[in-house]
Amino acid sequence: MADSAPLWAAAALPLLLAPAALAVACADGRSVAPVREVLRLLVQQPRRTRAADALATRTGTVLLPLAAVLAAAVVPLGATPVSDLGDGVVWFNAMEALAWAAVWLTGWGPNSTLSLVGGYRFLAQGLAYEIPHMLALTTAALGAGSLRVTEIADAQRGLWFAVWMPAAFALYLLSAAAMSFWGPFGQPAGRDLAGGVATELTGVGRLLLLGGRRLLLLTSAAMAVPLFLGGGHGPLLPGWAWTLVKTGAVLALLLWLRRRLPGVRMDRYTELSWVVLTPLAVLQALVVAVVVLP
Amino acid sequence: MELRSALLRAALARPAVLTAVLPGATRARLAVERELRARRWPRVLSPAAADLLVVVGRPGEDEPAWLEGTWQALSEPRALVRVEEAADAGAVLDAGHAALLRGGPRTGTAAGGPRPHHASPVTDPGHLDHAHADHMAAHSHDSPMLISGLPLADRADDRDGLRLDRLHVPFGPVLPDWPAGLVVRLALQGDVVQEVTGVELVPAAPEPRPAFWDEPWRRAAAGAPVTRGEAARRRCAAHLDSLGRLLAVADWPDAATRARRLRDAALADAPAAELAYPARRLARRVGRSRTLRWLTSGIGVLPRERALAAGVGGPALEADGDVWRRTVQWLAEAVRAAEACEDPRPLPPGDPYGPRGELTGEQPPSRALLDVLPSLLHGAELAAARLTLASLDPDPDELLPVAAGEVARG
Repeated sequence: MADSAPLWAAAALPLLLAPAALAVACADGRSVAPVREVLRLLVQQPRRTRAADALATRTGTVLLPLAAVLAAAVVPLGATPVSDLGDGVVWFNAMEALAWAAVWLTGWGPNSTLSLVGGYRFLAQGLAYEIPHMLALTTAALGAGSLRVTEIADAQRGLWFAVWMPAAFALYLLSAAAMSFWGPFGQPAGRDLAGGVATELTGVGRLLLLGGRRLLLLTSAAMAVPLFLGGGHGPLLPGWAWTLVKTGAVLALLLWLRRRLPGVRMDRYTELSWVVLTPLAVLQALVVAVVVLP
Repeated sequence: MELRSALLRAALARPAVLTAVLPGATRARLAVERELRARRWPRVLSPAAADLLVVVGRPGEDEPAWLEGTWQALSEPRALVRVEEAADAGAVLDAGHAALLRGGPRTGTAAGGPRPHHASPVTDPGHLDHAHADHMAAHSHDSPMLISGLPLADRADDRDGLRLDRLHVPFGPVLPDWPAGLVVRLALQGDVVQEVTGVELVPAAPEPRPAFWDEPWRRAAAGAPVTRGEAARRRCAAHLDSLGRLLAVADWPDAATRARRLRDAALADAPAAELAYPARRLARRVGRSRTLRWLTSGIGVLPRERALAAGVGGPALEADGDVWRRTVQWLAEAVRAAEACEDPRPLPPGDPYGPRGELTGEQPPSRALLDVLPSLLHGAELAAARLTLASLDPDPDELLPVAAGEVARG
């Protein structure tokens, strides 16, 4: 039974996540441009649009990275998360649902059509990805008979969940990209909307939103490790190193997918999600239930 | 102060650039794009994200309101530069970078100084302040409610008969991957286009040379010696340019970058062997993408009969269908043209087929493409509307009047 990390780990978590998210951004762009971009946004003056709801924008942009860091609190590094909650999976899902509010508020705030439409798009995206996503989380919890993330990881000492529940794993990966509105699921901040929810953001607000999005991607990729890839378990290397290696592999897979796929529009994806992916997720959960509940 | 300036220098080592392109400036745009890629300066999507506003081409007015609005939407530190000739691109970007680093008094305000208000109808393509007065007048209340000087949205029935807020929003002229200087006025409900209320171009100074993409055919028609290979090369680059825009709008940056690199190689006189192979690879990767096919089928459908009736020619006519069919048509034509780009035979002066259709008609092919636009966008989601426009890709250069007697130059 793993314990929670000492209290100082809570303060260290954002300090660990931020550089890691920056590294992911660099790998995505295959350059160090994101480092310069951070600096550039820090010197940029904030600007407001007319009749803007500044409180909404500020709340939204602060909430997004906050939600990502809070979600990361239950992700174990090796065997130890910052907080080993008894219902860690539910906590993770709740924090990641905060992103809905964050993105919508950011889209609403600036009083701009493009940014508002970006906000709509994220809500539509949420409706499309969330149900298969929750079923995938449930399936992993069902397989381990626990909502505690460390126990789910421990249940995979023998066989990774990714191997015997592949559909749940694949759906989880899709929703990892979708919840962080990144890559093929980046339409809420899409090019065709001149940046969507980020259109009107300047300076620190922009940094928080775009950085928060990377943090969310990193956190959800890292969560795939205890849920489906055996957590910190592995030969030779210590647990924390296995967590990092596996997270890196998940991210590499997502980045590769990004290069192969165009942006997915929700007017098409929702149909796929409800007609094909949701029944598939239910079926996967049923199979797992039959196996583990004799 | 020293630290501050060092920080500024590091932060702006590669300024973020937003381009505002005017009709008739394709040569200069291509030069700017090449230059930016070589310098690895990031290109951003909106004024708020930009440090450096690069105006490409010659506006037809002294102080265009749209430019002023765009400029006002940039936040400090910021600079504005103008590129009028392709050859000046590098020097002008250097000057912009220097102005940005200097800080202090800005060299390049759009209208010579800050103005108290920064929203005018065509300017920032997105604020909810564009409910037109005439539409407001059709409404029952006598004095429209204003919030911070902006009228509220009006209402109308949506496509399902629900009474919803309706916004009047001009799209363009400063949008990424958008035809130069085009303004499409949309009545939006949520993200659904209820109606296209206007399609126009911002005024640009008349160009002495013919439209860049039509140049070989225009020159041949005027009696200048032009080879078939030269024309094929231009057609190949024109389609790759269109594909680059379409793939970028479809949010597939990897494929869009490939198309644009290949376009620049074609224009830089790369040998046919070096063009044809990557062109076939691009056609394979994009043409066999099931995801793209699934996402672009069934939108912006323009059947052959309707295209003919509207006077549309070229790939949009041949494709006889939706966004996907037009994409595949461009890919096939680009590959064919890449293979033919060393054909030394002369182009017959009567050859009328430019990249977008017949050039001998009464009006340029892009006029017909713009004319069919409103009916294709009606009832479409915004994302589908943008894909439809990008898959037709009207060339605003063709719509500029050409100064007489200059056609053979070039």
